[in-house]
Amino acid sequence: MAEKKMVSLTIEGRPVSVPEGTSILEAAKVVGILIPHYCYHPGLPVAGVCRMCLVEVEKALKLAPSCATSVAEGQVVHVHTERALEARKGVLEFLLINHPLDCPICDQSGECELQDYTYQEGRADSRYRDPKRFNPVEDFGGDVLYVPNRCILCTRCVRFMDDVAHETVLNVSDRGDRAIIGKFEGKDLTHPWSGNVVDLCPVGALLSKDFLNKARAWELDRVASICPSCTQGCNITIETRDSQVARLKPRPNEDVNRFFMCDYGRLNYRWMNRTDRAELPLVRTEGELRSIDWDIAIHAAASLLRDARTFVLASPMLSNEALHLLSRLMQRKGGAGAFRVATGEEAPLAGVEDLALRRDRAANVNGAQMFGFQRSERPLEAMRDGDVLVIADDDLTGIAADEVARASQVIVIGTTLPGAASAAAVLLPITNFSEEEGTFTNLRGRVQRFMQARPAPGLARPSWLVLGDLLGALREQDSFYLPSDVFAKIASSHPAFSGLSYESLGMRGLPVLESETAGAAR
Amino acid sequence: MPINIKVLDRPIEDVSYLKATLKGMALTFKHLVNPHKVTVQYPEEKWQISPRWRGTHRMLTTETGKAKCVACGLCPTVCPANCIKLVPGEDEEGNRYPLIFEIDEFRCIFCGYCQEVCPEEAIHVGRHYENAEYSREGFVYDLERLTAQTHPVCEMWDPEDPRGE
Repeated sequence: MAEKKMVSLTIEGRPVSVPEGTSILEAAKVVGILIPHYCYHPGLPVAGVCRMCLVEVEKALKLAPSCATSVAEGQVVHVHTERALEARKGVLEFLLINHPLDCPICDQSGECELQDYTYQEGRADSRYRDPKRFNPVEDFGGDVLYVPNRCILCTRCVRFMDDVAHETVLNVSDRGDRAIIGKFEGKDLTHPWSGNVVDLCPVGALLSKDFLNKARAWELDRVASICPSCTQGCNITIETRDSQVARLKPRPNEDVNRFFMCDYGRLNYRWMNRTDRAELPLVRTEGELRSIDWDIAIHAAASLLRDARTFVLASPMLSNEALHLLSRLMQRKGGAGAFRVATGEEAPLAGVEDLALRRDRAANVNGAQMFGFQRSERPLEAMRDGDVLVIADDDLTGIAADEVARASQVIVIGTTLPGAASAAAVLLPITNFSEEEGTFTNLRGRVQRFMQARPAPGLARPSWLVLGDLLGALREQDSFYLPSDVFAKIASSHPAFSGLSYESLGMRGLPVLESETAGAAR
Repeated sequence: MPINIKVLDRPIEDVSYLKATLKGMALTFKHLVNPHKVTVQYPEEKWQISPRWRGTHRMLTTETGKAKCVACGLCPTVCPANCIKLVPGEDEEGNRYPLIFEIDEFRCIFCGYCQEVCPEEAIHVGRHYENAEYSREGFVYDLERLTAQTHPVCEMWDPEDPRGE
């Protein structure tokens, strides 16, 4: 960036200095002015087809499309002059000629740019008296539904498929006022990243079938998070309605996922809403698991762990905080720990460097390895007979009960009580990923924070709190009150994390020290 | 007597109750012979209520008897008392339709915003005031109940004077 020449200009009376080649639209964002636009998207090549971003540039004859006009030295730009407003009003009127105005039944309503800008600077009524064009709803395959009547032909979806996904599926079919978005013969939107066209669509023309008629945009509560479905660690927003996760949306992060997320991650959220959860701490008394007070359950678990070698079956879905505390638990008496990872096929997004749906379908594989857990297909093989087995959020699918039974005692710290662990002595219910705060380390060693999106079920507690209390009961350390305290402990005890804190991570994350990740990631 | 009590000397016309009594009786008698009656023999007779009266709700239906509601979610959003519960879904034809639409008439403050905001002219407040129920649950009107009600609905403004001037 340093070698790029800086250009100074004035936008709406505010002086701004940006690198040469920046568009006026991006320069306006720097000084906090949003120029209305449809076809422009920072993640896509510039098309300049919607004519919505017209602004007045002094000494220029015509209005300039701000998305396709580079800044020039000494330029004076006016966004809200009468001429510019009149032009944009005209554009909006044309866009609305064939728009059905079915906002009450449109899923985009509330987050629709056509709606927003029309309220901002459009006409209150239409002068068009003829019947509107009508085209039937079309299934584009995958998770995408196309409602051509609402389409404003910004071609964001076409450009995404062509230039980012590198799979030519969509085009603009027909001409003039009959033009609609079409699919090429025999092609479907089955690309593993095609769901992004729904986010890119500024209006309600491309809809997610999964989210169809589920909730209104203004009813959703939004929380910044990290996609837990693979080791890529895409930044996402969890959107909940009545504390139920309704959908996941990508959150821009230039260093990880830019503006995108894959369909697998996008649709893999139903497990967060699971209702068959462990909600009460259980302790085996007189041969039967009985619900009991948290303090007693923690002490019951601590008394089992006090003098025994511990084997931890961890889950790569746990946060760094939980895994760090688990590793302390396992190292106390020279124990060991292992975890397993579900795998799938890698699906890269061709147009973005180093962005793919990764083979390892769990968020914190790198973190689990950095904290000393062994990755294994058959994790319990490393367990010695007579160890105390701590099952931390592994659902034990494919693991036989007699394999678990080699342990002298079983403690389950998890969101459910797996059938194969029904002989457990203690069950400590923890919250799942969407119900707690923490950090994940992605496959490039980037530590990123996620926030709590839903309340915990029943008496379940966050994993870091349960494990901190357990270590406290074992006189290893004091209990923690905040996840940031646990992270501070990690930063002070692991060289790779040194210097990091929740404050410095912010909402975009930071990489751990290079030398450490190089060893652990392999 | 340790305390001296001062007795005021009042003129008899101020102290006498006779004048006030006669005045009151005169008023009563005036109303007795007044031909304009205020009392209504409810329930045999009923008051004529205003066309803008806002009472318990009614959901209007299409010709096929289905509720006009498209579950757009504007009424639960605008409702200041938070008394409308709406869960959107799809009907048999795949159109947007409320799976659950409930109005808690106990919570409702009868402001009429739901009727005003409705883009489909589906939900209306009614010109109706006889709402007695035997149970509290009876005051949570579901979609079936709302569509089955037949009382006239509120006219948000007087058709003779739409601007209220």
